[in-house]
This record gives sequence, structure tokens and C-alpha cells, in this order.
Amino acid sequence: MTTDIGPPDYKTMIPPVVQRNYGKWLFHEILKPGVLMHVGESGEALYTVRAGSPRLLSTETIRAICEIADTYCDGYLRFTSRHNIEFLVSDKDKLEPLLEELARRSYPVGGTGHSISNIVHTQGWVHCHTPATDASGPVKALMDEIHEYFVTMTLPAHVRIALACCLNMCGAVHCSDIAILGIHRTVPKPDNSRVPNLCEIPTTVASCPTGAIRGDMKNKTVTINNEKCMYCGNCYTVCPAMPIADPDNDGISIWVGGKVSNARSTPKFSKLAIPYLPNNPPRWPEVVDAVKNIIEVYAAGARKHERVGEWIERIGWERFFSLTGIPFTDKHIDDYEMATETFRSSMQFKWR
Amino acid sequence: MPTIELAGKTYEVDEDGFLEDLDKWNEEFAQAYASTEDIQGTLTEEHWKLIHYLRNYFQQFGIAPMIRKVCKDNGIDMKKLYELFPTGPAKGACKLAGLSKPTGCV
Repeated sequence: MTTDIGPPDYKTMIPPVVQRNYGKWLFHEILKPGVLMHVGESGEALYTVRAGSPRLLSTETIRAICEIADTYCDGYLRFTSRHNIEFLVSDKDKLEPLLEELARRSYPVGGTGHSISNIVHTQGWVHCHTPATDASGPVKALMDEIHEYFVTMTLPAHVRIALACCLNMCGAVHCSDIAILGIHRTVPKPDNSRVPNLCEIPTTVASCPTGAIRGDMKNKTVTINNEKCMYCGNCYTVCPAMPIADPDNDGISIWVGGKVSNARSTPKFSKLAIPYLPNNPPRWPEVVDAVKNIIEVYAAGARKHERVGEWIERIGWERFFSLTGIPFTDKHIDDYEMATETFRSSMQFKWR
Repeated sequence: MPTIELAGKTYEVDEDGFLEDLDKWNEEFAQAYASTEDIQGTLTEEHWKLIHYLRNYFQQFGIAPMIRKVCKDNGIDMKKLYELFPTGPAKGACKLAGLSKPTGCV
């Protein structure tokens, strides 16, 4: 069997109009929410229709998407880095029929420009063993409520929302305008009968960022200093015999102000806005309301092109908390020593 | 709890086939398990050298050795490691050696 063949060459799967104009594009326009036009030096144009997707797709849905692409796009489509579907239309006459077909099938078209595009999210209770919350559920609940921001471009700048179901932060929660992050609030409980066979004790001890875990070599297990534990769950990741999940106390924290682009200001990490909201499936109303509130206050106060983080830096964090009505608590004060703040986390610099 | 019968003996294992009670390991276990990890026939001297190295390291330090350490201490490279244990050092070699299942974001 041949191995290590890598993914198929992407150039074999791009539309002929892109092949011909590859690296020779002149400009692009957003014709309307979800519809882009790229024009090449040759004068040829590519029309892109962006539609939302729930990320978790059945094979049947993928076949349906392929069918649409066959009918209107000569079989060409792509997925974006936020898991939206892009139908790549070479024939302008097929643009409107495609939009009608998508409307008929209830595919939301949007996610371009100053909108809220798809939510980058993770596995949650669908597949992972370390989550403190679900992913697909809160994402659906939230996108239902902020759907208008997906299909319009009315915000001051684009607002990136991401969700991670535990502190591993798979995805982009640490660098998003609004981030939804699952957290625990109780100390893990080592199962002394299982630790010796399931866990590498030195690895478990070393996994703790606060040094709260000590090896108990006599009993081949570990002990936890409850006063030092801040419930990150890292030890459970390396040692399955110390579960941390707690349905009554697990929940969601909200973070704001991150960005990755270098436009106007340097990239930023998201910062804590709300330390805890309960898990309240299936609609997570507290989380949805909190995020909507932040979006609305931001949209009312920010200047054009100003990202959430830039807006907060302009008005100051005190004003952010007073405008949004979010209480500022002792939980907001960073008590973890990290030097990264002193590093340049940006590509903005000058050659000598 | 799932069990597996190897060479006439029953062992308690997890869903991935790792020993539940590490003290139950013996050489027949390793040999009988080899075929499920894509190793043909009897284990060679090279296999045993690695298995005993892993066991000794685990007993001494309480952890499985890093891959670089395995290669350096045994004078082999990753390619050779995969020739010996086609399913890899973690899933293949550690399982046969009766070490705890690798954890983390694997």
C-alpha cells in the first residue's frame, strides 16, 4: 500500500476561470451580502456565493451541496476557513438562479464584509471527552438569534465569534472579537484505584500549571491541593482517572476583544468579560443574551472599521463594563504569571 | 469490562486493548498480542530489546520515554521503529510492553 501521498493537488480542483487568472486578480467587490465578484487582469470575473454551514454535515448534505455545485458552478465549490460553503460561479447568468435555489433550500447566504460570519467551534458533547460545555448546541442557539448579522453587513467591522468547549481552546477563542469558552469550577477527583494503571504520575504532576498536584509514590497515585487548583482540567487530559466534569458547576465564560489581522492595530488576545454563565441546554439563553448584548452595545458605540478590541481600547475597559452592564469582579483580575504579554505577537514591524 | 483471550489466558483490557492491570503483563501476552498489531510471526530479538527497554524505563521513571529518547538509547531511527512496530511506538510497542495507554491530544 502506498502511504504518505498527501492531499490531492488543489490546483486540480479549482474552476478553469481561477486557473486562467491565478495570481492575476485585479480587484474584488462585495455585490451584496454573501456575494463576491473577483475580476482578473484578463477581464474575466468569478462570482462567489457564500452560504453558512453548521460544520457538522451528513454525507447526504454534502451530496446535496455537490448537486447544487454541479447545476450552477460546473461542479466547483470550496469551504472557507470559517466552514462556510462557497459556490464558485463562472457564468454570471447562473448567479441569480443559484441564489434562488439556495433560498428555496434555506441555505443562509451571507458572512461577507462587516457581518458576523460563521462561528468557529469544536466538538463539545458530540465527540470529545474533556468538554465543559457543548459546541454545536450553543452555536445553533446563538446563530439563530443573531442571524440578521450573518445576512447583512451593518456592523462597524466584522465580528468574529468562536467557541471552544474547554480550556484547550481548540479553534480561535483566544483571538476572537467575542469568544465563548467552557469552564469548570470544581476540583478533579483522582480515583486512587485506577490512577496506578491508567496514568503516568510524573506526567500528571507536570501537567498542572499551578503546581497543585503532588505525586503520592507510596500509593502510586496523586494528591491535589484544592487551594491551588483553578479547574483547568489539564490533568484529566493526561490522566483519565481524575474526572473533572460536573454538570452543576460547569459552564461558559465570555471573552472579548481578540483579533488576528494586522489591519490598523496589532493582533490581540481576547480578554475575560464574563467569568461564568450556566450551561442551560438546549438554547443556552443566558449565553445568547450576553453575547447579543455585547454585540448591540458595540454596534451602537464603535466607529466604522473599529473591531471590538479596538473599540474597547479606545473607550477603556471601565466604560466597556459600564456600557454593557457586565459586573466587574475579582475573577477579572489576572493572577497567572505569564511573560507572553511582553512578546511582540504581531507581524507589524519595520525592516531596520 | 472487555477481556481478551491470548494463548489460553484471559486479560482485562480497555476498549483499545491496553492492559487494565499493568502487573498482569508477561512475555506470552506480548507475543500473543503481536499479530493484532500487524507484526508477523514471533517477536525478534530487536522487538524484545525495545519492549524490555520500554518496561525498564517505565519502571524507573513512571512514564513512557519520549520518542527521541527511545531512538537515541537504542541506536535506531523512527523508520526502523515503524518497521518493527507497524502501528507505531505508542499504539504498538507500548501496548505490547504493557504500559499505560498514551494520553493527551493524540
